[in-house]
Parts: sequence; C-alpha cells; structure tokens
Amino acid sequence: MRPPRHPWLLTVIATAITAVFLLPVYWMVKTGLTRPDRVQTPDPQWVPSPVTGENYSTALGYEGLTRALLNSLVISCGVVALTLLLGVPLAYALARIRMRGSGAMVLALLVAQLPPAIVLAAPLFILERRAGLTDTYLGLIAADTTLTLPFTVIVLRPVLRAVSPELEEAALVDGCGLPGVLLRVVLPLMVPGVVAAAGLSFLIGWGEFLFGLTLADGPDVQPVTVLLNAFIGQHGASWGALMATATLISIPVVCVFAVFQRFIVGGLTAGSVRG
Amino acid sequence: MRQPSARRRRAGCLFCLPGMAFLALFLAYPLLYNVWTSVHDVDLGQLLGGAERFTGLDNYRTVADDPAFWHSVRLSLVFTLSSLLLQFTIGFALALLFARPFPFNGLLRSLLLTAWLLPPVVSGTLFRWMLDAESGAYNALLEPVGLSHDWLTDPSTSLAGVVFANVWIGVPFNMLLLLVGLHTIDPQLHEAAAIDGASAWQRFRHITLPLMRPVSVTVLLLGLLYTFKVFDLVFVMTGGGPVDATRVLSLYVYEVFFTSFRFGEGAAAALLLLVVPLLAGVLYVRRLRREDEAPTGGAV
Repeated sequence: MRPPRHPWLLTVIATAITAVFLLPVYWMVKTGLTRPDRVQTPDPQWVPSPVTGENYSTALGYEGLTRALLNSLVISCGVVALTLLLGVPLAYALARIRMRGSGAMVLALLVAQLPPAIVLAAPLFILERRAGLTDTYLGLIAADTTLTLPFTVIVLRPVLRAVSPELEEAALVDGCGLPGVLLRVVLPLMVPGVVAAAGLSFLIGWGEFLFGLTLADGPDVQPVTVLLNAFIGQHGASWGALMATATLISIPVVCVFAVFQRFIVGGLTAGSVRG
Repeated sequence: MRQPSARRRRAGCLFCLPGMAFLALFLAYPLLYNVWTSVHDVDLGQLLGGAERFTGLDNYRTVADDPAFWHSVRLSLVFTLSSLLLQFTIGFALALLFARPFPFNGLLRSLLLTAWLLPPVVSGTLFRWMLDAESGAYNALLEPVGLSHDWLTDPSTSLAGVVFANVWIGVPFNMLLLLVGLHTIDPQLHEAAAIDGASAWQRFRHITLPLMRPVSVTVLLLGLLYTFKVFDLVFVMTGGGPVDATRVLSLYVYEVFFTSFRFGEGAAAALLLLVVPLLAGVLYVRRLRREDEAPTGGAV
C-alpha cells in the first residue's frame, strides 16, 4: 500500500484506539494496585494513589493460590512436553514421508479441532474416573493435549514442508542415518515452528478451564483458572484481591507472548489461514 | 523427492503411531463413548458399576422435548451471530488501519493481541468487574450520559454484556487474519485505480472487498467455530444467569451432565451441540483442501 501522507497521524489514531481497547487490561492492573478501601467507590480513581501491594498479599494469603499457580505451571509444561513429543514426529511424517493414509490423517487432525471442549469433557469425566485418572496431573495434561496436539501438527506441517528435501537427502547420502538427519538437519530448521507450537501449547494449557473444572476434584491438582472462578464466589466483594490474582495469572501469558511473539503470530496465522 | 524406500515408510508409520494412538485413546474413543452413553440410561449410581440400560433414542427425545434446550439453542445462535458480526466488522476496520505503514504499527498491533491471549477465565472475571453495577469502570464512564446500567444482572441486557466481552476477545484475532489477507492484495491495483481517478471508497468497494472475500469467509467460519463453543467466558461472567438469560448450549450441556448428573441426556445434548461445528467444519476443511491443491497457495 502507498505510504500515507501523515504516518504520525495514523500512529495517534491507532494509539487512541489501542488505549480505549485495552482499558480493561489497565483496569485489572490498576485495581490490583489500589488500596482495598478505595476499590469499590461509585467514583473510581483512574490512577491509584498511593500504589499498594496489599491486594497481592491478601490474594497470596488465600488458601491454595500458590499451590494452584504451581499446578498450572506443572500442567502447562506437561502439555508442552507431551504435545511436542507426540506432535513433532507426527508432523514430520505427514509433511515429508509419502505414505498411504497421510491424507486421511491430516483430515482427521482437522476434524479433531472441531468438537467443543464440553463434548469431550463429558465422556472424559466418566472414562478418566473409571481409569483412576481424575485428580491427577496426567489426566489433566492428557485432556489438554487433545486440544494442542491437532493444532500443533497443523501448524508444523507447512513449516516442515518448506524445508528443502535436497538438504535432507544429501545428508542421507553422506551416510548420516535417519535419526542423525532428523537431529542435525531437520530439527534445527524447524526451530521457529516448534517454538511457536510450544508457546501456543503453553498458553492453551495455562488458560484451560473446563477440564480443570470437571476432571480435578480438589486443590491438589486444580489449575489456577478454576481457583480464580471459585474466588469470585468466596471473595466476591474483594475486587482488589481478585484483580491481583487475575494479574498474576496474566503475567506468564504476557511474558511468553512477548518473548515468542514473532513465532507465535507467524504460527497462528499459518495454522488457521493456511492449514 | 526420491522414490521412498521401504525403510523410510516404516519410519513414517513409527512416527505417526504415538500421536495417532494418543488421539484415538483420548479423543476418538471418548467421543464414540459419548454416542454409547447417549443411548443408555446412565446416572451417578452406575458411574462405576456399569448396569446401564439400553434406551434407544429416549435421551434424545427427552432433550428435544425440553423447552430449556431450545431456549439454549436460540441463545447460542444469537450469541454467535451477534459476536461474529461485531468482531468481524470492527476487526476489518482495524485491519484496514493497520495495513498502512506508520510508526509503532507492530507494537500497537501486538498490544491489541493481548486481549485475545488472556485466558478466558481472566477476561470473564475482568469484564464482570468492568461491568459491575456499583463501581464498574464502564458504568463510571456511562454515568455522565445517563447510560449506566446493571448490565449483567438484568436479564434483558446480560447477553449483550457477554457478547461485548466476547467481541473484545475476538476483534484482535479477526484483525490479525484479515491483515494477512490485506497484505496479499497487490498494491499496484490500488495505484492504477487511483491514477484512473477512483476515489478511496470506490477502490475499497471494487478492489479490496472482492479480493478479501475468500479470506473473509475463512475468518467467519473460524469465528463461528470458536464462538459456538465458548464456555469459560459465559460460565465465569454469568454462570448462565440471571435465571437462564445467558445459558448458551455449552452451559446447558454442562448443567445436565455435571450438575444434574443425567449422563445419558447430557451425552445426547452434547452430540446435538456438535451439529453446528461439524457443518461449519465440513465447509472449512473443503476450503483448505481446495487451497492445498492450488500450487501457489494464494491468499487463503
């Protein structure tokens, strides 16, 4: 598109829109830093003064919050590990190896993304209970991975296709075995795709709620998203502490996104628009 | 590629096996098991025992005779269609703005995307607070113009409140995908038209819009898939209430299955909930296929 005549004017407009749009995020952070007795007033303060950490100490004093944050970390790291372990070889085979049934498998992976989580949560509740998997990290990690695995393969497949086959064949001819080729030639080339998949899997695992709600009974493995929802019932009036908790949950999300931004946006658009 | 060797094919199968086995066990089998549950009479007592009675289509009949089910269907349609319309229109407008180069374009775009990245539970909690009757920030802004309102606890506006939050989440994603589409339009088309004296509106109407059609259809289909399955946001914001004013289909299924423990009926309702995503999915997959076959890939 042609360079605009007043690029800075566009910056001003876009900044104003972004500011209005992100008001809720500012409000979350701001409420968390406002003195509890000044949070719920009919005439809210737009800038907290004085800034206080009181809400954070209240929130961290709530029973189970630190444990739930830890649980979420364990679950989302587990989701990343399991997704990559299963997804990378699968994506590689579907992208690079000609074999019967690969078309059907790609189709199956696309279809696997369709069912709403509630449709899966219902039978998983019965089946995992029978198998003794409810209330375990493994049960939750496996349930979350049904969301991330199909998606990961679909993001990774086009990335792997773009890797030149000649390179791989040259290495094969040079006497590098298939495992060696994968480790030394293919893996380094697919790092951006793998990073995008890992980042997005982490975000999905960290933010997941329904499986945590239905497949975990107690505080032992319950993710922090479920606890935040429970807090609304228990501490409904203390919005300061609730927003402090919400901010704590958002920090890893923003960090992961800030670090892997380029990869994630690339993977996201590649995954959903291109398939 | 060279003729694939038998060894390579074997390796291929070996690579596919763990992932596909996992999905068979944790995705395909549960979904099939759901079908089985939906034609049996299963409740909490039989959960671990297994003395379920085959009841044919009785569960489906019970669900279809439940006015609450049809109420949820209507709510889901209203929720989905109004969210789609708003997030697509706003997303398109923002994409047009961000398609132009200006300082800090990338930074502002990334900031917008945080709205989409926040866990839905966080956004739900946040919007509960923003729309709070007494001291919500939005009401403080609306107060001077006399529009402050108890959005989420008034049954006639609670759905609008939930749609508002959902659109907020959806806009950046729509913008991002539409932006990819806009970047594939050859700028020379616009330049040529401008030289021929076409106004900005004419160029938008006769160049941008028609060329954005395929991307738009994909974005809307994806939006439909995402929006129809929304659970967390509504659950956290209103729990389906007040009374049943926001009990969309996913919440209806949740209540039948996990609150009333009527597993057979819940499974039947869950399968009925699948109809819309499956239809949209068939359309979506067909579009992807067509594009997969195209050698250059194209815009979408």
